[in-house]
Amino acid sequence: MPALAKYRHSFFVGLQSNLVYRWNFALRGGFSVFHLTVVFILWSAAYAGNTHIGGFDLAQTLTYFVILILLQFFVGAFNEDYQISEDIRNGLINQFLLKPINYFLYRLSVFSAARIVSGLLVLVPLGLALPLLWPYLAPPHEAWRLALGLPAALLSALIQFTIAYCFGLLTFWFLEIQSFILLSLAVETVLGGQMFPLDLMPPALFHLSQYLPYFYQMYFPAAILTGRVDFAGALSGLVIQCAWALILLGAAQLLWVRGLRRHTAVGG
Amino acid sequence: MKPLNYLRLWLACARYSMVRTMMFRADFIMWSLVELFWMGAGVLVIGVLYRQTDSIAGWNEYEMLLLFGTAMLLQRLLMGFFWSNLFEMSRNIRTGHFDFFLAQPGNPLFMVSTRKLDPDGLINSLLALGMVGYAAHHLGLHLTVGSVALYGLLVLCGLVVHYSVLLMVVSLSFWIIGAQNLEGSYFTLFEFSRLPREAFRGIARVFFVYALPAVVVSNVPASALLHGFKPVYALWLAAVALAWLGLAVLVFSRGLRQYASASS
Repeated sequence: MPALAKYRHSFFVGLQSNLVYRWNFALRGGFSVFHLTVVFILWSAAYAGNTHIGGFDLAQTLTYFVILILLQFFVGAFNEDYQISEDIRNGLINQFLLKPINYFLYRLSVFSAARIVSGLLVLVPLGLALPLLWPYLAPPHEAWRLALGLPAALLSALIQFTIAYCFGLLTFWFLEIQSFILLSLAVETVLGGQMFPLDLMPPALFHLSQYLPYFYQMYFPAAILTGRVDFAGALSGLVIQCAWALILLGAAQLLWVRGLRRHTAVGG
Repeated sequence: MKPLNYLRLWLACARYSMVRTMMFRADFIMWSLVELFWMGAGVLVIGVLYRQTDSIAGWNEYEMLLLFGTAMLLQRLLMGFFWSNLFEMSRNIRTGHFDFFLAQPGNPLFMVSTRKLDPDGLINSLLALGMVGYAAHHLGLHLTVGSVALYGLLVLCGLVVHYSVLLMVVSLSFWIIGAQNLEGSYFTLFEFSRLPREAFRGIARVFFVYALPAVVVSNVPASALLHGFKPVYALWLAAVALAWLGLAVLVFSRGLRQYASASS
């Protein structure tokens, strides 16, 4: 079997199994529209009496949050860490150790399939809300933003998946990792720019955040796509993003090798 | 069963929960940290917003902190007293383990709602209360025993609303067995409770302030501390609590009739 064919099959199996959970994704997508309503109400109230906050007008800030929702559903990690953790705890991972398949690539292909399903499904509630949202949106028109924003979004997907993968592998050491995941999620949510655009932080903190991986999870692609970063900033950011992706891939490989040494496969 | 017996039962469950928590101390610390971090994230948003503006819908930074603290207090109290119980209810309905509660010699709703306590939620509710106190101190509010007692009563009404909404959402599992993450709608709805009532305009005001109880639960207690007792608002919240509790109990009871067990 050609090397890539098995991952293509995993991808299609992933598509089918995620379509089974289409209502869960649709429900989650519906909730995200309510979250967007909270964001719109809060930021509209904050902008009352201010034409600009942090150099951006209300429409630009709201566009940022809409793009964030799209990114969350197209490139964000949902419960991949739990799935990997369950594979290890239940011993299901043993079957991957005996077959000529790379577990990371297998999981990555299933993750890609899941994000295509969830991403397409979130377009439904967002599409329905679009007539209401449209007057508040101000997407930038420069073509280079799309040309750099899409690779940034793909790298963001890789970073998010690899972080989730690393957390899942912690199950080799700890039986219960749910609290680790939620603790990390809180940090990622803030430092990833999901609660507010990071450029509104004090300049020193914003500068510091640019050297953390969280910056490249959500904020960076959203900032490119919504005009919050200039061309030079986007290029240098892509270099740092690539570096973080490589570092995290290295960490994932290290955890896998070390974790397997601790792993005991039982039964047959 | 007599009310005193229910109290004894609840105390026994509370004692069991505490012992269990102390058996898994590291887990308790981690979960307390998780909730603390999420609360810290909310405070950070307020800090960042008020770096850019002095007022949001007429509320200054410390008034907003007081409102956020009240919203968190309500949510952490719900987490501490009821969340685990109701969260497990939908799973128990799916698996048939709900039979266990029906076989007990007590009111099923009481049995389902009070079996476990989560001390990490309760610890964080103290921190949320500290946030309210900190904001009140910065605002120079002169709190009397009466105003604090009234605030406590209004928070209790708010807790009843939170509990009722969650119970109602989870009770849907009696009909929609396969549905998961229904409780996510609870978080979505009460995200609105962090916002001041004055920020809502037009249809959003009608929907979230008047039709749904999302805003009133936090705004009424916070306003009572900030601007003093207003009987109309207090009665409004009490009526909302009563109505939603009644509705939730009705949905739960109807659902119970629908329950078909799942034993093998």
